[in-house]
Amino acid sequence: MDPDSLVSVVDDDESVRESLPDLLRELGFAAQAFSSAEEFLASDYVGQTRCLILDIVMPGMSGPDLQLELTCRRQPIPIVFITAHGDEAVRSRVLERGAVECLFKPFSETALLDAVQTALRVS
Amino acid sequence: MENELTRVVNAIPGFVWSAAPDGSVDFLNQRWCDYTGVSLEDARGSGWQTAIHPDGAPRFLDDWRSLLESGEAGQFEARFRRFDGTFRWFLISAVPLRDEAGDLVRWYGQNTDIDDRKRAEALLAGEKRLLEMVAGGCSLTVVLEALCELVEDAASGSYCSVVLVDPSGTRLEHGAAPSLPVSFITSIIGRPVNVESGPCAMAAYLNEQVIAADLTIETRWESYTWCPMALAHGLQACWSTPISSTAGKVLGAFALYYDEPQRPTSVHQSLIEQFTHIASIAIERAQSHARLTRSEAFLAEAQHLSSTGSFAWRAATDEIAWSEQLYRIFEFDQGVPVTLELIGRRVHPEDAPMWHEMIDRARSDGRDVEYELRLQMPDHSVKYLHVVAHGARNQDGQLEYIGAVQDVTERRLSEAALDKVRSELAHVARVASLGALTASIAHEVNQPLSGIITNASTCLRMLAADPPNVAGARQTAQRTIRDGHRASDVIVRLRALFSKKDATTEAVDLNESTREVIALTWSELQRSRVVLRTELGDNLPPVTGDRVQLQQVILNLLLNAAEAMRGVDDRPRQLVIRTERDEGDRVRLTLQDAGVGFEPHGVDRLFEAFYTTKRGGMGIGLSVSRSIIESHHGRLWAVPNDGPGATFSFSIPCGAPDVMGAHNVRAIATPAVTEVEHVMRDE
Repeated sequence: MDPDSLVSVVDDDESVRESLPDLLRELGFAAQAFSSAEEFLASDYVGQTRCLILDIVMPGMSGPDLQLELTCRRQPIPIVFITAHGDEAVRSRVLERGAVECLFKPFSETALLDAVQTALRVS
Repeated sequence: MENELTRVVNAIPGFVWSAAPDGSVDFLNQRWCDYTGVSLEDARGSGWQTAIHPDGAPRFLDDWRSLLESGEAGQFEARFRRFDGTFRWFLISAVPLRDEAGDLVRWYGQNTDIDDRKRAEALLAGEKRLLEMVAGGCSLTVVLEALCELVEDAASGSYCSVVLVDPSGTRLEHGAAPSLPVSFITSIIGRPVNVESGPCAMAAYLNEQVIAADLTIETRWESYTWCPMALAHGLQACWSTPISSTAGKVLGAFALYYDEPQRPTSVHQSLIEQFTHIASIAIERAQSHARLTRSEAFLAEAQHLSSTGSFAWRAATDEIAWSEQLYRIFEFDQGVPVTLELIGRRVHPEDAPMWHEMIDRARSDGRDVEYELRLQMPDHSVKYLHVVAHGARNQDGQLEYIGAVQDVTERRLSEAALDKVRSELAHVARVASLGALTASIAHEVNQPLSGIITNASTCLRMLAADPPNVAGARQTAQRTIRDGHRASDVIVRLRALFSKKDATTEAVDLNESTREVIALTWSELQRSRVVLRTELGDNLPPVTGDRVQLQQVILNLLLNAAEAMRGVDDRPRQLVIRTERDEGDRVRLTLQDAGVGFEPHGVDRLFEAFYTTKRGGMGIGLSVSRSIIESHHGRLWAVPNDGPGATFSFSIPCGAPDVMGAHNVRAIATPAVTEVEHVMRDE
């Protein structure tokens, strides 16, 4: 496990927060889960995070809001968006704004691994 | 010889007299003297005239003078007083005797007693007059009073009354008694029909004649002290006879009273028989007339209530009889003579050719007709009529149609409204439910699927590790199962919302129903960045209704609220759903949004078909929602908020016995819902 390659997961869905970090750890990454964008921003992990797996629709600050916020803070963390809404328009918008990938739930392990590795290379 | 002649003259049944040419009487036979009690001496000259009834005297003297002047044989009638003061009618026949020169020498005459004939004639005339009154529609009281007066004339010294038996057959009612004291009548009216309460009640009760010839020694009706009461009014005899209908039902009693003890003679009995018969005709006629009037009133009312009028049309002459209700339907002035030309002026121009064809065909083949016809009224409104007519030949062989016309305008209009609702609902189902809901449903299913795949991948990796992480694998496998159930729950909820076919009435927990709808739309609300606050009241009583229909309403309101806030960025997209008890044992659900709202005067338009303030919005569901709530005896309304947005509420009674019209709404809703279901299955 490489502590430098911390992958943070921000999703309001509990089952994602439970399952995704476990899989990421199995894939060899360090992982942390957060239930909201606000919780992530308030944590000590923002600076360490090399890849952000971010839900798009959340109560309060949304995924794209957080993306914008990080850009403003000049903390450009590579972002892999995940969403249960198969909305192509949203996908292309977030990709335009610099997201590494946007995965539609449910996504395969391979797709996840590819996206995270791409993100880490960027980082 | 002279004696012989005198014997003959006195033996003749009647009065014989002779008079001078100037009319002064010089001879009257003994019978005349015996009858009048006036002696020949007193009667000579014009003394006999004192025996003439004073009422008829002037007329009689005119007739007498004309006779004398004419010098011709003649006859006339007059009443003469008998020695005991009673009067009888006589026919006076006078013949002139002339000498050879033709000069009038003497008058000879004979008076014949015609009193019995006169009485019979008077009774007959009276009876005829009574029957004419009955036939002419005089009121029963007037007829019975005339009858009493006639009987009192015929049976001198009598007081006559008629009492009626009330419709229930238990009490006496007033009929007529023109000559009896009011206090006597009022003490009889209302007495029960039995053997105890009095002679009339007894006669009516037993349906047989009751004769009380001497009330001073009468012992019946003591418990009702009837005799003392009658005696106090100066009455000492009473003969009561039941009045029966032709069917044998007792209608009342006919009574004759006298102020001294008396027993009926056969003359009295035939009088009684004759007049109880006439009274029964009058009463039966009055009762059947009342029944007829009532049934005519019923008919008119029924025509009014059912918006149905009736008509008769004689094809050969075009005579038309038109019911009151038809005048109203056609908006003709009551009583205006109705002609085909007049009717034609009301027929809708587009229907006029068809109408003329119907008339021509009816005229020629005489078959029954049934058709729909539109009228164009003077104010250009349109009425829809359903016409049914039966053709038949009358006694003269002429073709006559009798028909009914029903104004079905309201039915037509509500059918049109129903069609509108139907198409609206189809639209709602397609646009609102499919557009917004499928995204939400996809999200709800994708979320657990994602968990399942992730957990399964993790599980495999943990098992493939060396050494295998069995504990971790077990945990992730358990999570897989949990997420599988979660996906399955979504499907269960969906099935509950969409797969029902028949309207049911059940106890519905509005809070739970609301939570289910929120669960289904949760992700849609989140995606729309709606901040939802739920304030579901505690201890909310269940409402009686159709759960699915109510959930469809909540769903519509929820999606509408989210839609209304789509463009809002300067404030939180706050949506409050509240349930609470409402006044009058009702439950209220309120949705308060912070959206674009609506103009206060636009409230009514909100509920119109296809009205929406939002581009691509879903305002289309509101009128359907309202009709569903109204079918639950409830009310759906909207008010603009003080601040931004609007508040939609509905209030429905708890435990309404029956969801009226739920079937109608279901009938409309089913095809649309089925359609949704099919589309969803296809995708």
